[in-house]
Amino acid sequence: MKLTSKDVISIGSPTLFILLFVLWAIVNASLEPALIVAGVAVALAITRLFSGRERSWSGRIWRSLAVTPRALWHFLAYLGIFLIELVRANVGMLRYVYARHIDIHPGVVKVETRLASPLGRLALANSIALTPGSLVLGLEGSVLYVHWLDVRTSDREEATRQIVGPFEKHLEAAFG
Amino acid sequence: MGAAMEIVGSFVVLLGAFFLFSAGLGVLRMPDPFTRIQAGTKATTLGNLLVLAGLGIHHPDWALKLLVIAGFVLMTNPVSSHALSRAAHRARTPMAPTTGADALREDEAADGSGNAGSAPAQAP
Repeated sequence: MKLTSKDVISIGSPTLFILLFVLWAIVNASLEPALIVAGVAVALAITRLFSGRERSWSGRIWRSLAVTPRALWHFLAYLGIFLIELVRANVGMLRYVYARHIDIHPGVVKVETRLASPLGRLALANSIALTPGSLVLGLEGSVLYVHWLDVRTSDREEATRQIVGPFEKHLEAAFG
Repeated sequence: MGAAMEIVGSFVVLLGAFFLFSAGLGVLRMPDPFTRIQAGTKATTLGNLLVLAGLGIHHPDWALKLLVIAGFVLMTNPVSSHALSRAAHRARTPMAPTTGADALREDEAADGSGNAGSAPAQAP
């Protein structure tokens, strides 16, 4: 580790390193010593490049990730909810696509999120894009602009709360 | 590797192909770019996942690699939908005539400057 005036440079985030190495092992589908050595070297280099500087933008994001059993559990719970919503979104979409006459009333709605971390907000925006009848048009700070396919079906505010609520709870615990 | 597994795998792939077809039909039938992006994003994601799952049933030894591909599809598909829809919105692409309120356009207008829509997003 080396200390400069303001910036701490180090190996980087262990989470990122483990993620990269597991990815390398899966893609190569082999545990030969030479491949492991090469994988460790490449993963270390990328980890240092992207999270070595503590005060850099990506460095802060990766360092804020702490993999605890609780975070992991909430992440899995989030994935479960997400997959159910994805199937529901598709069944809803099939109804519109195969309707004799497509009768929709779209609109753009503003939603506040209480998630603070960039990764959490990214995951929330991605989830909203894949849940029934909604698509994120823009993300400014803590405000999401969500395009709804049919704003007549229910109260927009209430529907938004229903979509964002369950994701937010688990993402907040997983990403902070 | 029984024949039954192969039939199940083929059926799952077929189901995925059905969703992909529906996505294409949705892109053709929806009234404006935003609703088309919605149809395209959701149905292609589930369609892709089902095709990958079907392949996994056919070739269980590929399962981990297919899982990685599924992860990348899940992360990148929505991102491209944000990029496309935000670009369409900034280019003032007209929305379907049945569209109601547009909170994003209203907020840009409230910002005052005529080019609020083209200003890059400010990081706090």
